[in-house]
This record gives sequence, structure tokens and C-alpha cells, in this order.
Amino acid sequence: MSIRDKVMGLYSAFVYAFLYVPILIVIVFSFNESRTLGHFTGFSLKWYQVLLEDKVVWVAFYNSLNVAVITTLVSLLLGTLSAYGMIRLDIGGKGAIDSLLYVPIIIPEIAEALSLLLFYKFSGYDLGWLTVLLGHIAFDISFVYVVVRARLAGFDRSLEEASLTLGANEVQTFLKITLPLSMPGIIAAALIAFTLSFDDFIKTAFTTGPGFQTLPLIIWSQSARGGVGPELNALTTVIMAISMTIAYIYARLTMEKQ
Amino acid sequence: MSWMESLIDFVRKYRLLVALLVLGPPLIYLAIYFFAPFLITILYSFGFIGRRGVITWEFTIKYYQQALRWVYLKVFYNSVVLAAITTVGSILMAYPVAYFIAVKAPKKWKNLLVVSVMVPYWVDFLLRTYALMNIFTMLKMMFTYEAVIIGMIYDYLPFMVLPLYANLEKLDKSLLEASYTLGATPLKTFLKVTLPLSKPGIASGTILVFVPAIGEFIVPSMLGGVSVTTIGTLTWDLFLKFHNWWRGAALSILYIAVVLVTLIIYMRKVGELEI
Repeated sequence: MSIRDKVMGLYSAFVYAFLYVPILIVIVFSFNESRTLGHFTGFSLKWYQVLLEDKVVWVAFYNSLNVAVITTLVSLLLGTLSAYGMIRLDIGGKGAIDSLLYVPIIIPEIAEALSLLLFYKFSGYDLGWLTVLLGHIAFDISFVYVVVRARLAGFDRSLEEASLTLGANEVQTFLKITLPLSMPGIIAAALIAFTLSFDDFIKTAFTTGPGFQTLPLIIWSQSARGGVGPELNALTTVIMAISMTIAYIYARLTMEKQ
Repeated sequence: MSWMESLIDFVRKYRLLVALLVLGPPLIYLAIYFFAPFLITILYSFGFIGRRGVITWEFTIKYYQQALRWVYLKVFYNSVVLAAITTVGSILMAYPVAYFIAVKAPKKWKNLLVVSVMVPYWVDFLLRTYALMNIFTMLKMMFTYEAVIIGMIYDYLPFMVLPLYANLEKLDKSLLEASYTLGATPLKTFLKVTLPLSKPGIASGTILVFVPAIGEFIVPSMLGGVSVTTIGTLTWDLFLKFHNWWRGAALSILYIAVVLVTLIIYMRKVGELEI
């Protein structure tokens, strides 16, 4: 390696540190015994204990999980249907439909969130679990569509043709060839859909009502006006651990594809 | 297997109906919970009042006039400036890293290095911005413009690294060797070969960072407090604090218009997004 390469390597190391040091600090201070930030006085699990005994946190955790799981299942179904339809069906107007399916990814989240709020107010929905859920699904369908579609477009169609030539019918071909081959795409899409929903803050904040809190809403309300504390560090560590594990699995899956 | 045969018969006979059954549910869902809300937002921005199905409407453009007043235009301007600083800052940080992973890094490290950028990409801004609050509190930098800029770059960085990496990964290295062989210095090779070839990657990253950064709410709000106002924080306040939905709707429609115009110009000039 030349000096130039070493400098570039060092610079990259600095950028990686920039990405990860803040996260490490949250994790480290979630195990700090004392409340003071910046002084590590000793290892302690007591903030996690506080979390475990906090009923509000448990309810919010249940709510986050509940919304994320249902969102994942429904958007997986609808997104996969649209991807399959767009790739395999022989119909006109595909370009237009494709653009429509991309719009939710392009539109800024806050604009989508407030339009949902106006829609709910107009239609007379009571804000809460259902309104949060419906909004998350609307957003996630497009992500599932993009990921599954890419997978379906990428695999060799002659495999399906071979199956048909060898005497399998369309349904058997779908179940034995198409579905297994698109599975990695579907799993990757499920992971994205789950994380997007589980972590989501802005859409949830706009579309929730009194009495329905998710974990990100707790972090938001407690950290408002600069309130940083060890309990919040512990909570953030837990949520980040969940999303980062899922992101890691996703990354490994998509790497293998290459 | 007779039910299966009749199913197959059905599929073959009624192609259009099958298409409706497959594409119908997702499109109908999006029509109701994505596109209808936008139509309603447009109506609100023109003075529409609808609550629980009861409608009173006096068509007016006064909310657009309000949204285009000097104070709001200044917020638009501030948001675009902040987004531009974020974009330039993240290009400066991301480019050498993307280049290092794509061209210089040992092969066995490559996957790990890419995964390490991808992982924070999937953690919501709220959590990562909260993580920064710890450091800024220790450094007594909370509620400063500098903290907001660092926070913006921190959150958007992966969105810049990944498209740049995807682009540089495809870079034909024999072109670099050819340039060296022909006597060009590394700097000249970079300026004349690498940089021009990586323009699509820079363009993709710029769109992925610049467009959402204009409307960013979480970072300016958490790290800037009341000292930094952007379109995002203004929209939030208009809706959730002041309940001025009409002005908020007009502002949001203007913002979406800016986003769409930017994207259309981009698509015309560069073509597909790369990610």
C-alpha cells in the first residue's frame, strides 16, 4: 500500500468511527451505574431493570411489535402480489402502474404523514392502533414491491419454461419453481418492512391518538428539550439492537445474491 | 386434480380478470390510504373544511398566499441551504470511503465494510439522532446550528456511501492503469477518469440525500431546538401544535412540488436512480 492508500484507509476508518461511536456511547452509558453523562462510574444493569419494571414501556413494546408484525404480513402479501402481477402478467399500462407503486418511496415521509392525518380526520376515523397500522402498510407495500420485483426480474425465466415443458402445470410450476426462487427476495422484503414499521416515528406521531404509544414515541417525548438519560439509553440500545440485527441479516442475504 | 385443471383453465381464459385479482388489492389499498389522502391535502390547501364527512368549502388561495409570505420563504431558503450543506458534507465524507471499499480494500474485508454502512441505514433517524444527543450534551453543543449540520450528515451519510460504492464498484480498473501507463499523475487520473465516470453515483446519492433533507424534521428539531426552523419543523408545528391544517397543507403541497420538480429534472438529465 502506498502512503496515499494508507491516508485513504485512515480517513475511511475515521468515517466508520463517526458512524459508530455515537451508537457505542449510547450502549456504554446504558450500563453506567450513575446518572451523570460522561463519567463511567461502574457497570450496572439497573437501568435495564428499570425498563423491565416499567409498564408503559412494555405496553409500547407490545404496540410496536403488534403493528410491525401485522404491517409486515399485509404489506408482504400486497407487495408480492403487485410485484408478481407486474412481472408476469401480460397487460397494458404497466409503466403507469409501476410509477404509481414507486410514489410512496419518493414522497417525503412528513408530507405523507400529514395527508394521512387529514384523511383520517375527514373520514371520521378515531386515531389509534388502526390508523397507525393502515398508514404503515400503505408505506411498506412499495418497499416490498421494489425488493420482490427485483428478485423476480433477476431469475432465469427459462427454469419456469422448462418446468412447463416437462409437464408440470402452472400452479405446480409456481409452487415448486417460482415461489422457492423468489423466497430470498420475499424474506429480504419482510425484514425491511418490519424494521421500517418497528422504528417508525413520524408517521406514527401524526396518525396516533391518545392512549396508543409505540417505543419511538416514548423516546421522542422523553428526549424532548434535551433530556438524555440512562433509562432512555437503555431503551434506545434495545430498539437499535433489534433493528441492527435485522439489518445485518438483510445485508448478509443481499450480499449472497451478488 | 380436477380443481387444479379448472383453475388453470380459468387463469388461461380470463387473463384480465386474473390481472385484476392480482393487481387490484394492492392498487386499491394504495388508492385509499395513499393517493386519496393526497387529494384531500390538495383540497385542504384550497380552503376545504371536512370533518367526519361534513363538508363546507369556500374555494380560496389565501393559504398559498400565506405560505408564500416572506417569513415562510425564508424557511424554505434555510431548508434548502441546510440540505445543500448536508449533501456537500456527505459527498466529501462518503466519496473516499466508497472509493476505498470499491477499489482499495482487501477483498475479504469488502463485504464487512459494506454491511457496516448498510446497518445504520436501517435504523430510524430518531434513534440515531438521540444517540448523538449524548455526545452533544457532553460537549455542550446542544441546540446549535453546528450540531444540526453534524447530525444531518451523520444521519444521511449511508444514503450517500451506498450509491457511490455501487457505482465505483463497477469502475473498470484497467482504465485507471491505462491512465497511469500513459503518464497521468494519480490526481489527474482521478479528475479525468474516476470522477467523470462516477457522476451517476454522485447524482443518485445527491437525490437520496438532498430531497429528503429539505423536509427533515427529526434532526433540526432534536438537535436544534427552537433555534433552527426548516420546512419539516414548520409543518410539524402547524399541524400538531397550532392545528392550522390549511396553511400546513398548502406548505406541504408546495414542498412536494419542489421535490417532484427536482426529481423530474434529475430523471431527464441522468435517467434511472441507482441504488
